[in-house]
Amino acid sequence: MAAESLIFTLVILLIFVGLVLFFLARVRIGRVPHLRRIQAFETLKGFTGRAVETGRILHLSLGIGSMANETTADSLAGLSILSYLAEQAALTGVHPTVSMADPTVMLFAQNVVKAAHEGDRHRVEEAFQNVRWIASQPAAYAAGVMSLLGVDDIETNVMVGNFGDEYLLMGEAAVRQDVSHIGGTSNPNTLPFVYASAQETLLGEEMFAAGAYLQKRPAHIASLLTQDAMRWLVFVAIVVGVLAASIR
Amino acid sequence: MGVRIRRILTTVVAIVVGLFVLADIFVSQLTTNILGLGFINQTIHGFSALFVSWLTIIVAFALFLGFINVISVHLNRINTNKPGIIYSVVLLLSLAFTLIVGFSTGGPNSISSQAMFEYVLQPLEATIFALLALFIATAAFRAFRIRNLETFFFVLFGVIVLLGQIPLSIYLWPEFPVIKDWILNVPTLAGVRGILLGVALGTIATGLRILMGADRPYTD
Repeated sequence: MAAESLIFTLVILLIFVGLVLFFLARVRIGRVPHLRRIQAFETLKGFTGRAVETGRILHLSLGIGSMANETTADSLAGLSILSYLAEQAALTGVHPTVSMADPTVMLFAQNVVKAAHEGDRHRVEEAFQNVRWIASQPAAYAAGVMSLLGVDDIETNVMVGNFGDEYLLMGEAAVRQDVSHIGGTSNPNTLPFVYASAQETLLGEEMFAAGAYLQKRPAHIASLLTQDAMRWLVFVAIVVGVLAASIR
Repeated sequence: MGVRIRRILTTVVAIVVGLFVLADIFVSQLTTNILGLGFINQTIHGFSALFVSWLTIIVAFALFLGFINVISVHLNRINTNKPGIIYSVVLLLSLAFTLIVGFSTGGPNSISSQAMFEYVLQPLEATIFALLALFIATAAFRAFRIRNLETFFFVLFGVIVLLGQIPLSIYLWPEFPVIKDWILNVPTLAGVRGILLGVALGTIATGLRILMGADRPYTD
């Protein structure tokens, strides 16, 4: 990367950090903004209740992303949802079944589940049995999840993380099993598959808002506000750039 | 060691490692080219390369833990007599067979191991992905139902792009390929860029929360 673009990247990053700290301070003194309604998160809040009432399983797929490459952010978005579901499980005793294709994500998922149960060793062991690494290859992972959706008594299905074409295999399996299904990914090529198979969708950046919407974490709300502010900056830069290029 | 101290330590380690790797991207260029401080570059780059090399070891070990997880989960399913027990038995037998073949014939590059990949795994993967064609058709059948204005435009654009892809469509109306190209290059590309921009901002925010210690998925 050229030195000029590195300096530009560094400036953007510093603005980002400054804005996060500014909004974090505002949120911490109670100036919490009204967040627009995202139906997928509202539906998700009812999923644990449905699993408790029906005695059936809530399945969360964290996708084929890893914690050691460019898909880390997608996997962390899925882990935010797992954190919420694990906290609910700690209260109700009904553990979600969590599947993933990458073993590094499995370690983080186990950690998130363990954190939610705060030292209750028996509950942690129970929950660990429901954190399942299926396979590294996308096709094998999809086959494993399709089998899981068919064999286990799944009531609700959440698929949030990094997915490729194999999403449709799993999404359609959920549709065939008549399972309530929320899907989310940041991959634009997979979004049509999500739209076609899921009842509620988290498209692109929406999935990164899980921590703010589900757990009201101040740092997540602050970063959400920062993303909005940066989006306005980009918008202004595009308009100014177009005008400057047109005038010249 | 107390839980609190362990949490603080892991957070400090995560932040320091993250900052070194991030700094390597900037300092390796800036110090050499602008400030002329090559030794800072070398130090940061050295630590960054070391941490990234550790990552390879951790990922390999994670794979081993994944292997333990598969055995543990399926043994538990067999012990508790859960539905689909036969699949767990077949999985564990296949796993044992693959391991025995691998160890007894000289590892993953042996002829027997390669044959298993070539004649069992690859055809199975191809079969699974071949289902996509059928599933795309069923998903399209469901999606292409006009329920409101949004789905009307969804269907309209979908039909135009489908027709535009067919060479014979020019006999129906010569403008079909032109409109198809416009749909793909203007509104679709604009939408994709908007999504990618949002995803990029979300990714930066997620990374910063980790670097600032606000998110700690690695501590229990």
